[in-house]
Amino acid sequence: MPMFINGFLYIIGETVKGLYRNRWMCLTSTGVVVVTLLMLGVFMLVNLNISHVTETVKQQVEIVVYIDEQADQASLDELGRKLSAHGDIDEVRYVSSQEHMDRLHRQLGGMLEGYDTGLENPLLASYEIRTVVPELVVPLANELETYPGVSTVFYGQGYVENLFAVSGVLQMVGLALMAGLSVTAVFLISHTIKLTVMMRQREISIMKYVGATNWFIRWPFVLEGLFMGFAGAVVPLFGLYYLYQFSIDWVVDNNLVFLTLLPVQVVLIELAKYLVPLGTGLGILGSTFSMGRFLKV
Amino acid sequence: MVEAKNVCMKYDKGGQYALENLSFYIDRGEFVFFVGSSGAGKSTLLKLIIREIKPSDGVLKVFGRDVGRLPRHRLPYLRRNIGMVFQDFRLMEERTAFDNVAFAMMVTGASRREISKRVPHVLGLVGLQGKADAKVRDLSGGELQRVGLARAIANRPAMIVADEPTGNLDPGTSLDIMNLLRSINLRGTTVLVATHNREIVDRFKKRVLYLENGKLVGDEQKGIYAHVH
Repeated sequence: MPMFINGFLYIIGETVKGLYRNRWMCLTSTGVVVVTLLMLGVFMLVNLNISHVTETVKQQVEIVVYIDEQADQASLDELGRKLSAHGDIDEVRYVSSQEHMDRLHRQLGGMLEGYDTGLENPLLASYEIRTVVPELVVPLANELETYPGVSTVFYGQGYVENLFAVSGVLQMVGLALMAGLSVTAVFLISHTIKLTVMMRQREISIMKYVGATNWFIRWPFVLEGLFMGFAGAVVPLFGLYYLYQFSIDWVVDNNLVFLTLLPVQVVLIELAKYLVPLGTGLGILGSTFSMGRFLKV
Repeated sequence: MVEAKNVCMKYDKGGQYALENLSFYIDRGEFVFFVGSSGAGKSTLLKLIIREIKPSDGVLKVFGRDVGRLPRHRLPYLRRNIGMVFQDFRLMEERTAFDNVAFAMMVTGASRREISKRVPHVLGLVGLQGKADAKVRDLSGGELQRVGLARAIANRPAMIVADEPTGNLDPGTSLDIMNLLRSINLRGTTVLVATHNREIVDRFKKRVLYLENGKLVGDEQKGIYAHVH
């Protein structure tokens, strides 16, 4: 059998044996990874959904440009052209004064019956505009006010500025807390893995004395670290899946329709994309780096 | 095989010499005792030979190579040619006698077939027939040192370095271990033993290097312990 296959089989065998021989220590380390990543995962769930809710609300913000009824046709044509060509505008829709009246009828559900016959429609035609990103609403609205043929511009003044400010603060706080929790996770996990390696420093020094190369010693430890980190990330994912599913059911059962939670698959993928590399990476790096000084025998 | 020229060793800069200006030559196939009281520098010298530490000054050649200048990545290959035996055995306690010996062969890239043939053979040589599957933690002190010896000779090293190999053993077992070392030496392997076991040194009448306060104060063929002072 070629030497590298021998070596490979040895490394796999040693990894499995190492995990079995030190099963209590490995279970403890994996437990620490599970608890740390579970905490981080719960926080990420909350954070992702806060972002989702604020983004959903922000996406619903639109600008309504009311057209000046005194404006001549040339100004109106120019306004239409400028709006269609504007780079910050994603979608623009013309709503005639008759359409506004029809909407009003629908909203009031027949309460206007009999009042509007023979009267001139007082409602102004408008353009309803969605911006490329919600944050462009305020500057664009200010710009549109200066356009010819524009009577008034409405975008929920005051309310929108507050919404953006609050969502900005929430996002910053969320990011800061996530960074803090991630750093804590890094410390906790790498120190636990380090402890696992330290418990076996005698074994490592013996391996050095009989002439094992550093990588020959390191590989099984690295794979053990990888396994502990991976298991430590996958277990909380299952826990988080059930926790999140339960939360969704609770929201539905309690008719909290304003809480539009992200679908469970989307959330799970987002969590997996972050937690699995974090757990696995920390497992590998933790064991690789903590071995360093024991290999200097 | 081992050549020291003015070898000095200080653990701390500005501190005292653990070894001072040691010069000697050990030829292939010799059996040499390093003797001296505790703190004389015996263990330090062995640590230098296996390149656990580097000399502060002077040149120490092992197998013709200056170990002070040996790059770290070459270290495993030096150690595969040196079988090491320790007072505290330094065995992997959770593993069997077979596994401990096999590991030393595994690191050299020996095949499974070679290992499964050689390990029972060397365990037999040290008198541990039938103990291959015993967990190291279940063995007696004498048996532990036999496993240590079996591990040391598994790769047919050119040299055995033993640091107080009888330090934790009763006189009868100590003699058995030393007899094993002698028989290994008779097969052509160089054997270096650091000890302060007077009886053993006097009984074996091999070359003795006397160390005192880090200095080499005597070098006698067929020496006896009484000549330390």
